[in-house]
Amino acid sequence: MATARPGWSRRAQYGLFFSFLAVIAGIVVGLILLTMSLVVPEQFDRVRGAALDITSPVTGGLHKVTATAEGLFSGAGNYWDAASQNAELKRERHAMLRRMVEAKAIFQENQQLKAVLELREHERSTVAVGRVVGSSFSSPRRFAILSAGTSDGVRIGMPVRSPEGLIGRIIDAGALASRVLLVSDRANIVPARLLRNGIPVIAQGRGDGTIDVRPLEVGRNPFKRGDIIITSGTGGLYPPLVPIGRVVRLDDDGAVALPLADPATISFAIVEPPFEPAAVAADAAASTAERP
Amino acid sequence: MVRAALTPTRRIGQAPSPYAAYVPAVTVVVATLLSALPIISTSGWYPDFGYLVFIGWRLLRADPWPAWWAAPLGFVNDLFTGYPVGFSVALWSATMLALDLIDRRTMWRDYRTEWVLAGVLIAIDEWLQWRVARLVDAAPPLSQMAPALIISICVFPLFAWFISRIDAWRLGR
Repeated sequence: MATARPGWSRRAQYGLFFSFLAVIAGIVVGLILLTMSLVVPEQFDRVRGAALDITSPVTGGLHKVTATAEGLFSGAGNYWDAASQNAELKRERHAMLRRMVEAKAIFQENQQLKAVLELREHERSTVAVGRVVGSSFSSPRRFAILSAGTSDGVRIGMPVRSPEGLIGRIIDAGALASRVLLVSDRANIVPARLLRNGIPVIAQGRGDGTIDVRPLEVGRNPFKRGDIIITSGTGGLYPPLVPIGRVVRLDDDGAVALPLADPATISFAIVEPPFEPAAVAADAAASTAERP
Repeated sequence: MVRAALTPTRRIGQAPSPYAAYVPAVTVVVATLLSALPIISTSGWYPDFGYLVFIGWRLLRADPWPAWWAAPLGFVNDLFTGYPVGFSVALWSATMLALDLIDRRTMWRDYRTEWVLAGVLIAIDEWLQWRVARLVDAAPPLSQMAPALIISICVFPLFAWFISRIDAWRLGR
C-alpha cells in the first residue's frame, strides 16, 4: 500500500486493492469486537485471563527488583531526622496503647451485645493472598495486576483489600494473575460511610488515583479534612468496616479522598469472597434481566 | 533512501537481517509488553507504548508490515494493556488507512511534519480512549487527559529515533 499507482502490473494493482480491503475489514472487525467487549464483556474473560498469565512471570519477577530499589531509597530516607521521629513515635505509641485498651473493652462489650441480639456473625475468610505487581499505564481507567489467579480460587467480582484498606475488585482472572478494578477508577462505586459519625456516603474513583466522596443525603457538607471513609457493606459485595480513604480536600457538595491502600506501596493484597453472595447474585440477575 | 544509496558505507558481509521483515512487528509487540513492567501508576501518565512504536514505524516507512497486520497487532495490544478488546484493532487499522491517504496528498515530509502528524494521531488515540471510557461511565474530566497527551507527544521523537536505529540495524546499514 505504498504508492498511489503501482505501475501497469495487474498483479500489483490487485495487491494494492486487496490490502485496502484487508485494512477496512480490520477496522470493521475491530469495531465489532469493541462493541462486543463493551456490551458483553464476559465474552473475552478467557482470552484476557490467558494474556495475564503470559506476562505474569515477567511482572512478578521484576517486581522484586523494583521493590528492593524502592526499599533502599525509603530506607535511607528514614535515617533523616531519626531522633525527633523516635520521640514522636514513642508519644504516639503511648497514646495508641491507651486507645487499644479502650478498644478491647469496647470489642468485648460489642461481642456481648451481639450475642444478646443473636446477630449472625460473618466468618471473614481469605480466598487468596497476592501482590500488586503492575497497573494500567496510559488509559483513563485504573487497573492493577494481582499475582493470584483462578488456580488460587480467585473469581471475577471478588473484593480485594489489604491490611491498610480497600483496593478494589477483580474484573479479569487468569490462572496465575488477575486484574483488579481499583477504587480510584471511575467505574468503581463503593457504598461507604464516615467513620466519625456514620453518615452514609458514596465513594467513586476519579481516575487519577483519588476518590470522590459524596453524602447520600443532600444538605450540609458533612466532610472535614482528615476524615476516614470506611465501607458500609451495603450492596453485599464489599465487606463492611474496611477503610477506603482519607479526605484531603473539600469541594461544593462532597470531598476528595486519597486511598489509604496505595497500590504502589502496599505489600500484600487479600482476596475475599463477596460479603453477601446472595445479594450480589440477586443484583446481577436483576441487571441482566433489565438488559435487552 | 537516495542519499544512503549514494554513500556506500556497507562493509563486506554486512547484509539485512534474515528476519528483517518481522523486526518491526516484533518491536511493536515488545513495546506492548512494556505494560507488563511492574510499575504501578496511579495517575495514568505513561504513554501508550505500543501505539507510539506502531506510528513510529509507519511514519518512517510506508510498508513496515503488510497493512492487514495492524489488526492482529492491535489485538495483542488490547489483551496486554487491558483496553477493551477491539479498541486497538480498529484504531490501528484506521491509522494505517489514514496514513496511506495522507501519503498520497503530501508532496514532501520532514521531521517536524512527522512530529505534528504523530501528535495528532496520539491526540486522537487519547481522545478515543476517553470516549470509550465514557461509554461505560468511567471517564474522568477531559482536562485530566492532558498530561498524558503532552508527555506522549514529547517522548515521540525519542521513540522515532530508536526506531530509526532499529531500522538501520535490521537492514544492515
